[in-house]
Amino acid sequence: MSTVSENYVPGHAAAAPQAGAVKLTMVLSGAVFALMMVFGLLMRAAQGQWIDLDAALFYQLLTAHGAGMVGTAALSGAAIMWYFCGRHLVLSGGIFWAFLGLFLLGVVLILGAIFIGGYGGAWTFLFPLPALSGGAWEAGAAAAFMLGYTAIGVGFLLYYLELGRRIHARYGSLVRALGWNLILGREDNDPPPPAIVAAAAVTIFNSIGIILGAAVLVASLVHLLVPGFEVDALLAKNLIYFFGHVFINASIYMAVTAVYEILPEYTGKPWKSNRLFAIAWNAVLIFVMAVYWHHLLQDVVMPPWMLVVGQLVSYFSGIPLIAVTAFSTFLYVRGSKMTWDLASSLLVLSVAGWSVGSVPASIDGMISVNKVMHNTMWVPGHFHTYLLLGEVAMAFGFMAWLVRGKTISQMDGLDRAAFVTYLAGAAGFVTVFLFSGAASIPRRWAVHYEEWLAHDRIGTLFGGLVVLGTLVFVLRFAARLGRREG
Amino acid sequence: MQPVVLFISLILMAALSAVFVAAARASRGPAPGPGASAKRSGLIWVMTILGVIVSVASLREWPHALAGTGDALEVNVSGGQWWWDIDTTEIPAGKPVNFNVTTEDVTHGMGIYDSDLTLLTQVQAIPGYTTQITYTFEEPGSYQILCMEFCGVAHHDMVNEFEVIAAEG
Ligand code: HEM
Ligand SMILES: [Cu+2]
Ligand SMILES: [Cu+2]
Repeated sequence: MSTVSENYVPGHAAAAPQAGAVKLTMVLSGAVFALMMVFGLLMRAAQGQWIDLDAALFYQLLTAHGAGMVGTAALSGAAIMWYFCGRHLVLSGGIFWAFLGLFLLGVVLILGAIFIGGYGGAWTFLFPLPALSGGAWEAGAAAAFMLGYTAIGVGFLLYYLELGRRIHARYGSLVRALGWNLILGREDNDPPPPAIVAAAAVTIFNSIGIILGAAVLVASLVHLLVPGFEVDALLAKNLIYFFGHVFINASIYMAVTAVYEILPEYTGKPWKSNRLFAIAWNAVLIFVMAVYWHHLLQDVVMPPWMLVVGQLVSYFSGIPLIAVTAFSTFLYVRGSKMTWDLASSLLVLSVAGWSVGSVPASIDGMISVNKVMHNTMWVPGHFHTYLLLGEVAMAFGFMAWLVRGKTISQMDGLDRAAFVTYLAGAAGFVTVFLFSGAASIPRRWAVHYEEWLAHDRIGTLFGGLVVLGTLVFVLRFAARLGRREG
Repeated sequence: MQPVVLFISLILMAALSAVFVAAARASRGPAPGPGASAKRSGLIWVMTILGVIVSVASLREWPHALAGTGDALEVNVSGGQWWWDIDTTEIPAGKPVNFNVTTEDVTHGMGIYDSDLTLLTQVQAIPGYTTQITYTFEEPGSYQILCMEFCGVAHHDMVNEFEVIAAEG
């Protein structure tokens, strides 16, 4: 199961090194996605007053759901990118196991902090809330939560160090791996394939994001332990949102390598790096770091030019996404005579969901709109679109492809039912969030007013469909994996 | 404002989804012709030009502009876990109001809602800073301040009210 294949052979479920570790990671990711969705469903049902949750428990679930989902999106994205980079690079298996081990250590610390220590300060640990809980949790719980993040961050840094080192060794420099020969029109008889261009870009921006995140984590930890050590709250918020924005986006940019490497097996047309592709990825590298200010549009003491950049980049990041990634997907699919099995359907859906979700996101990135949409349900509305129908669809598509077998055939009845259920549920679920945002319902409220309950209840029903579809995907993946390994 | 934003977003999202559905359907049809790359350039141009127009139009008047102190009423709002304190309980309609917002502990968000629970404007309350926004109330009535930034276990209870009264003629 673990033969190294240097060159990609279309039409083959080519094995990659460490496929076993990747499959284990995907089983874990699937299980955690499902569990966290159940937490999400509990929150939505509690907002709709169908079940009764104590506010403290609601915010603990919110914290677990936020940190758990973001972490799992990143974990599954990292496994996917590792798998496909393994087709082009020789990667050390030990590093991946260390990464996974540190990740699980982090999960244990975070779950302990939340469900034993009572930490409910949300995944964004906005300074100085972790230290000022108003009696809901002790400093130790907040510290355990942040140490959990630190473990996960160290694991990711190891992961990127290994990738960066191997890319450098194979392509001579990260600049070449970012496709600069293509951009400058220089000859390159061994241009980096799309997965490597993506890996080079993500390695750079996510390492920067994690290091700045670590800085604010350390400052927050010291603040917890040493009374009198103060941090500027606005600076801390900048660092946190820089880290948070970059990290969650990195998960999609890692997972999209599944689209680049798998769809060609269906369409028969290789997904090649060209000049436009390289330009788009270099733009992404800058945009993803410059756009985080759109989270601070209502922090009016920020220098105005930063808010202007936040608004402009929110919009212009849509161009590489829609005109390059989505447009290329149309071209690949059109006339391809491809077979629509679960893997290919989920992967094409993921590009659609990601693109469609960018629409309400960039509209909310306008300062004047943000004044009445910021921190309303509009925000979970747009990010659930490109997570549920984007990153998670990429991960489920990759999982379906892993166990697909050698011959491509149409979806069977159960896969088709699960796909339709998931798509309908997710589309409905996020649309309700957008309507709720337009109805001014604030996000992260444990208790809702009478006027809002109809939204919450319809949202819960759609959320239930998402959970059903997910259970079928994940259980079938585990069963098929067991059958093939056994 | 919100219904318009919702409407435009849903239209654009539906249009983009329709293009994906059409592309998926077209997988059975003919392969894309040589015109595809011209179409892509056209799309990039349209998105760029549209972006420039929308950006200029929406930023020409700075959305966070404050009313001059001479003709505005100053209202101080301070927040803490889990209360809002407003130093003016009756605000005249039709006159710009400058809100000066502070917090005593963690970050909060001051969102002003009308009696239909529609969010009118908001600003973050950041430890160590005073944030300011201007709003002019047109309608007399009772208004609420809700917390818009997660601030702990009673975040959803952080609500206060004030009245807007008809300006004396
Ligand atoms: C059945 C599927 C899901 C349900 C029912 C669900 C439900 C929820 C609910 C009710 C909230 C809180 C909304 C509020 O602010 O009042 C939430 C927040 C959130 N969800 Fe989900 N969700 C689902 C799937 C996902 C997925 C797949 C991801 C990411 C991969 C995700 C990531 C998040 C994040 C990051 C937050 C923000 C947490 C915070 O505000 O601190 N969710 N979700
Ligand atoms: Cu508050
Ligand atoms: Cu609050």
